[in-house]
Amino acid sequence: MTAPAPSALAVKRGRDPTLTISVVVIWGFMALFILFPLAKILVLTFERGGHFSLANIIEILGHRSHYQAFWNSLLLGGLVGLLGTLLGFFFAFTAVRANLSRRWTLFLDMAIILPLISPPFTTAIAMIFSFGPRGLITYDLLGIGRFNVYGLHSTLFAETITYFPIAYLTLKAILAGIDPNVEDMAFSLGSGRWRVFRTVTLPLTIPGLANAFLLLFAASLADFATPLILAGNSFPVLPTEAYLQITGLFDLKGGAVLSFALLVPAFIVFMLQRFWVGRRYYVTITGKTGSQTAIKSVSPWAARLLLAGCILLSLVIVYFYLLLFYASVIAAFGANHALTLKHYRVVFTEGLKAIQDTLVIAGCGMLLGGLYGVVVGYLVGKKAFVSRTAMEIVSMVNYSLPGTIVGIAYLIAFNDRPIMITGTALIIVAAYVFRYGAAGIRTTVAILQQIDPSIEEASHSLGAGTLTTFRRVTIPLILPGLFTGLGVVFIRSMTAISATIFLVSINWTLITVRILEKMTELELGVAAAFSILVVAIVMAVTAAIGGCLRLFRQPGAPSMSSILGG
Amino acid sequence: MEAMAIGLDHITKTFLHRVKGRVTAVDDVHLDVEPGELLTLLGPSGCGKTTTLRMVAGFEKPTRGRILFGRQDVTGLMVNQRNMGFVFQNYALFPHLSIFENVAYGLRVKQMPAAAIRSSVTEVLEMVGLTGYEEQFPNQLSGGEQQRVALARAIVIRPQVLLFDEPLSNLDAKLRVHTRVEIRNLQKTLRITSIYVTHDQEEAMAISDRIAVMNRGRIVQVGTAEELYYRPGTDFVARFIGRINSLPATARRGEVSPPRLDICGHPYPQPGGGRQAAAGEAVRVFIRPEMVALVGDPAQGDFPARVTARTFLGEKVEYVLEAGGAPLGATAYASAATTLHPPGATVGVRLPAEHLMLLPEEKDLP
Repeated sequence: MTAPAPSALAVKRGRDPTLTISVVVIWGFMALFILFPLAKILVLTFERGGHFSLANIIEILGHRSHYQAFWNSLLLGGLVGLLGTLLGFFFAFTAVRANLSRRWTLFLDMAIILPLISPPFTTAIAMIFSFGPRGLITYDLLGIGRFNVYGLHSTLFAETITYFPIAYLTLKAILAGIDPNVEDMAFSLGSGRWRVFRTVTLPLTIPGLANAFLLLFAASLADFATPLILAGNSFPVLPTEAYLQITGLFDLKGGAVLSFALLVPAFIVFMLQRFWVGRRYYVTITGKTGSQTAIKSVSPWAARLLLAGCILLSLVIVYFYLLLFYASVIAAFGANHALTLKHYRVVFTEGLKAIQDTLVIAGCGMLLGGLYGVVVGYLVGKKAFVSRTAMEIVSMVNYSLPGTIVGIAYLIAFNDRPIMITGTALIIVAAYVFRYGAAGIRTTVAILQQIDPSIEEASHSLGAGTLTTFRRVTIPLILPGLFTGLGVVFIRSMTAISATIFLVSINWTLITVRILEKMTELELGVAAAFSILVVAIVMAVTAAIGGCLRLFRQPGAPSMSSILGG
Repeated sequence: MEAMAIGLDHITKTFLHRVKGRVTAVDDVHLDVEPGELLTLLGPSGCGKTTTLRMVAGFEKPTRGRILFGRQDVTGLMVNQRNMGFVFQNYALFPHLSIFENVAYGLRVKQMPAAAIRSSVTEVLEMVGLTGYEEQFPNQLSGGEQQRVALARAIVIRPQVLLFDEPLSNLDAKLRVHTRVEIRNLQKTLRITSIYVTHDQEEAMAISDRIAVMNRGRIVQVGTAEELYYRPGTDFVARFIGRINSLPATARRGEVSPPRLDICGHPYPQPGGGRQAAAGEAVRVFIRPEMVALVGDPAQGDFPARVTARTFLGEKVEYVLEAGGAPLGATAYASAATTLHPPGATVGVRLPAEHLMLLPEEKDLP
């Protein structure tokens, strides 16, 4: 063994040219696709005659309907947050504390995951089928001919069903993290079951409840598809108002101002989550369970009641999907119930272009978004450089903002020189990459934090160089992050609409946009068939990614549900 | 393979600390580890022992000084060029690889043929008693088993040097004793020169050929367990290895030379070897509790003391006494015939002069 000159081997920290170049390149992309559009929207909102001015805001929000939409959005968000958190807690508590058998747990998980992987209209469409003028329940079952399905009540119900799984996943993790021994301790001190729930379990879950509420509030605030179909004229909300302002009146400035009005509450929620809720978690997820103890906090009767309630609600979800499927294979819902495949024929002929476009865009977005997620995640989670925290925060901006804002911002920013990409596939792919790639960043950072530096040192001590270590140890360990990133970008590309509705064109369109068009053209059968197709594709992809993740048997690997929870 | 000496040639490591400024973690450590020897670096947390070990491994680069494996200067060599095995405190197993692949990792890096890898790994897994665990994954194993995989992974590459960083600190007490015997046996069988880091003095005494006691970045004393226990170089070593009484004493004036030491009114000759106290000087004298003899009749002892607490531990009895306002510990090895002194009783204390120690004091004890 001969010793090379020490100087050649010295590792100079902080002067890694690859690092510097990657950081500069990533910042370039972030500036272009995150900061620039956001700046554009702010300029358009606050600029009049070349000066800073509040006149635009006063003018637009002065409209009674817009002013009303602002408060409606907040009301809807608050109610969805409240109801969804309640429902999510109910399900999570049952799943964790009611001693369910494996089969029931699986059934509940499946039913709950359905809304998470569906295009955003599915519940809304099923609502129309159930409670519309010719609805299965209102017309056929109850004989009510003139039931008004449009308004706050339906929107609230549909959004709660669509978004409560987010609360379920958040709260399940928290409840599962509470050591049953803590409850045992309270029992040993003489508390009854109800008292233990009230004084131990519930207080420990409060930060989780707050977090779930904020998540649901933000989701409802950003939701565009459900209110568009179900809210009707009497209950305008901000995202739909902004959409109509732009597509109906071609008023970009008005759209920008309305989406700014949306940005303010969204920003408050983001800050609350990051700086208030984040610091108040009592339960740490260590992956280490205390000694096994039977759960005594729920009496057998209460457990049966909880389970029954959950099954009933799950059946409602399952019913919605069966109805959707039924509507897709009959001639005309409410009029002609003859079985037919004609809607699918339309989907695969007239709709073929949308399917192809969506798959191409989702595929490109998936690859680029996954790569982006892992690279940024690796930089943020592992490397030390000056702008690290700033990069982490900026990377989350598009992910945290309501899609309507991102869509309008992209439309404004890239409609004109210097970068004119409106109408291309590129703008849609970019919107997805920088919005949903953030999920890949989060998982990669989380995984990297769990990798002890000594694992890489161990590899070095066994004779492996930096490159070998990276290839054989680091890469395999962060692969789950890559898969998660890929999965989220693909699934969201298949199902999202709020941002991209502003970005589609004659040349490039998306399935979700076609569903909306078919809804407005009242071709509900075709819309249902499209929805079923999307659900099928997403389920297949979810299963494939779940299979890939299972190949990596390691403690840090995230489960599929954690992917969708983000 | 012939065992190889390790030399730490006056190594120093300074860090730039964000708050404290420049901090010297390791201060001019000079040490020779004999071929085939197991030497332990022992000290309180923050004494620089792990930093020293990490410099030997190559994870850190010394600010000054050289590291020698045999006659070769490895200071400038990367970790992966040192042919060294490292056992981590948290095992650092590769979570995505099976036990077989974890152990085979170093051999694959060396691009050894598959058949040779299989036989080497099988042999080493048998050595650590993990035959049959090949296809398991690290998270399926207990802490003790994981530690043995870490050991197997380190020795399978036939390293010239084996380094241990508190390898037993995550195990429970019983397993710790068991595993340290295994490590010691394996190290002796393979005759690999080893450096072992721990803060547990009992573990150090059980496992080592020699112990280097470290404090505040420096080596205070190097020696066998017996040498450190019976002839500690400083009060720090005396306190850190085992337990010891520290008694106030005064050198008498106008007497024989060297002056005798007054402890609780009784004169004792000055201990030989170490430093000498000048007449009138106030010093502290050290004695191990098991060297303190108690007699039931206070008049029979050098000076009287009152029993304040007694702990019966089966083969021995530990007393806490009070003499001249200062506490004094005494351990009596018990047989059925031993009389137990009840708390509150006044007994006579005898301090054998040959076991008294006058030690140079170190500042800033932990």
